[in-house]
Amino acid sequence: MRLIIYEDETFDNFYPLTYLRAIFELRCGATTLAEKLRRVAPDAPVAYFAREALAPVLRERLGAPVNDPASLQGDDLLLVNGRLLLLDASQLPAEGADEALVCNGAVVGARVGRAAAEAAAANSPAELLAALGAAAPTREVEGILLSYMWELIHHNPAAIVADFKAAGKAGIVGTFSDHATVWGSKKQVYIAPTAEVHPFVCIDTKGGPVTVDEGAVVHPHSRIEGPCYIGRGSIIVGGKIREGCSIGPVCRVGGEVEESIIHGYSNKYHDGFLGHAYVCEWVNLGALTTNSDLKNDYSTVQVYLKGELVDTGDTKVGSFIGDHTKTSIGTILNTGTVVGVMCNVMASGGVTPKFIPSFVMFMDNKAYNIAFRNTLDTARKAMSRRKRVLSDAEAALLEAALKLTKPERDELVRRSRKMLARERGLND
Amino acid sequence: MSDVAERVSKVTARLLKVDLADVKPEAHFVRDLGAESIQSIELVAAFEEEFGIEMDQDEALAVQTVADAIAFIEKVIAEQQK
Repeated sequence: MRLIIYEDETFDNFYPLTYLRAIFELRCGATTLAEKLRRVAPDAPVAYFAREALAPVLRERLGAPVNDPASLQGDDLLLVNGRLLLLDASQLPAEGADEALVCNGAVVGARVGRAAAEAAAANSPAELLAALGAAAPTREVEGILLSYMWELIHHNPAAIVADFKAAGKAGIVGTFSDHATVWGSKKQVYIAPTAEVHPFVCIDTKGGPVTVDEGAVVHPHSRIEGPCYIGRGSIIVGGKIREGCSIGPVCRVGGEVEESIIHGYSNKYHDGFLGHAYVCEWVNLGALTTNSDLKNDYSTVQVYLKGELVDTGDTKVGSFIGDHTKTSIGTILNTGTVVGVMCNVMASGGVTPKFIPSFVMFMDNKAYNIAFRNTLDTARKAMSRRKRVLSDAEAALLEAALKLTKPERDELVRRSRKMLARERGLND
Repeated sequence: MSDVAERVSKVTARLLKVDLADVKPEAHFVRDLGAESIQSIELVAAFEEEFGIEMDQDEALAVQTVADAIAFIEKVIAEQQK
């Protein structure tokens, strides 16, 4: 049996998080959506389908076939939509009769035998699902079909708990200072063999499990509240890591963080609050960068998506910050702010607007085009500090994202120039 | 002085808050006129607004003197009028 994980047309509901990655690569809990789906059939070969622009990067990152129609032939198939958050792999048996998989009324995949797959001769999962038609028997899958990026945050605490259970690892194996404490059940903590927890750290497992993964280090005067996952090689440099946080690999995190996902390779080193936020890779949040995640009137938060404000229906929503973005010291991000890819946000003494398009320098309430090639060099330098190299495919994807996001940027940049000219009396 | 040169000098003087007389062709934006990195970005935007052009930011930010800015802007105007 071969597992096919595919991205559907809703990827733009997750912008800016999905400009440089497929939906199924998004983190929710300790693992990505795809990693959770792979638990259905851990030993099965896997192939992926996603936007063509992502394919070269995905091939490098995933080491598996991407957008290859041949992977839809020659074996029994289990197709699953990559935005299905599957907290319990037993809900989706790998083997069984041919049937469509349904979650809350939506088709989220199918089990297709080799003969039916070959007869369909489909080039994509969408074609294969269409060929199966409405006559196929259906099977209800207990999962969550994510539709918007803020749902990743909403479900993150439950996903951390599910991932802890699925990993099946508990106990203090690595270095744990005699002066550090587990407040709550020790069965709810996993300190990996090469992890270190320094003195004067409190790990509070009363609200859920805490994992400190391989090579991660927790510095003194940190309080880690479960459920929480601290990824391999990450360093908690002192602070309050409150419930519901997923911190991916090789991050540096301090200050106060609550119910947030830091995808990986990003820094929030200093004091400042980050709540109900999703931070992509290679982001640096300057000292005292703070985001609001709750409005003073407790009304639901609206988030800018595809040119309009969308009501999330949720009262706690923080920021969504694209890859390679940097904020200056003292940046204050409004509730439900979206900051695109490769932005440079300079504090201006007030809160930011709710949307900052990709590839801009934002300062003094105005947006300016960035010098892309210079910024790419900066990205290379940042990545080399963590022993990573920006591949040609990744650079090409960034350039494609620069072109893709031009329309959302141009109008704001034009207005900013006019504002600058007016403010400085350049037209007089 | 050409029209472009005159307008570049005027925008530079106003944005950097320096005397127009100091904005000589050989003047270096950073060394002589005190432009900080943030002001360089503003200058590029101000020139784009003044001349109704779009400049490549990498190339524009590499310009160092007033004379080079005038030459660069004249080249961009010529290209974008084609």
